[in-house]
Amino acid sequence: MTERVTEQLAVGDVVADHTYWITRENLVRYAGASGDFNPIHWNERVATSVGLPNVIAHGLLTMGLAGRLLTDWLGDPAAVVEYGVRFARPVVVPDDDIGVAVRVAATVTDVRDDGLVALELTVKVDEQKVLTQARALCRLPADRPPGS
Amino acid sequence: MPIDPSVAGRVYPPQFYEVSREKIREFAEAIGDANPAYVDTAAARGYGHGDVVAPPTFMMIIVMNGFDLLMKDLGIEFARVVHVDQRFTYSRSLSVGTRVEATTRLDGVRAVAGNDLLKIRTEVRDEEDGTDICLSEATLLVRPEDSDGGRRQ
Repeated sequence: MTERVTEQLAVGDVVADHTYWITRENLVRYAGASGDFNPIHWNERVATSVGLPNVIAHGLLTMGLAGRLLTDWLGDPAAVVEYGVRFARPVVVPDDDIGVAVRVAATVTDVRDDGLVALELTVKVDEQKVLTQARALCRLPADRPPGS
Repeated sequence: MPIDPSVAGRVYPPQFYEVSREKIREFAEAIGDANPAYVDTAAARGYGHGDVVAPPTFMMIIVMNGFDLLMKDLGIEFARVVHVDQRFTYSRSLSVGTRVEATTRLDGVRAVAGNDLLKIRTEVRDEEDGTDICLSEATLLVRPEDSDGGRRQ
């Protein structure tokens, strides 16, 4: 069962690593889908009036992208049993077609006897962490080892 | 005006939400997530779910409804709010058709450097059988009313 899979994992293993791009279009789409219409996520005038350098991404969008790294790796989205982050720095999204690159990597921090795996996510823009204390606890699917 | 710490402990009326297929699809597309478990019933069944499930952070849509109530109650406009941290602990998957009941509690209020930090706990349960689905723990920072030029962290 799960033991066979978790045996292959060791603390320190980087199990997934991906760069996601966030554009203004993504922000508009996320605002609609999530119902979070705070103008700092789409209106440059409002964003700069509150002291931001420009429009910033929804914290939950960044958290969602980092979560995608986990669910892509796991397969089953419900295998994430705990997921938390601290929004340490705003992700500024430029008004161009390229957007901002968010690099996410997941590292194993614990392989537990109960079959759960603890992971730490590093989530960076320009080598600076935008999410900190980004941690997840996941259940590895017994019949579908990640990466298989 | 800082927030009166005596409001800590307030519990807001439960908010109901029904998880729909199209909302799951829309949300998954918004985070660019092509996982078939969000749109394909057969794929979701392959993981042991009855039907398609929602992405982990979909839960925020449900939790936000309670935040709205709390903000309105305390007279806080969203432009003054910064999300500091967010944690979800899932007891089970959130599948399509589930009707949930979310109860929001203001766990704590703390003044820090002229701002207020709110600790908010939301319990999301299955409306039908009352089983736990998710616990959300969040910290929000509320800037003072007069600081519209303040820099967000």
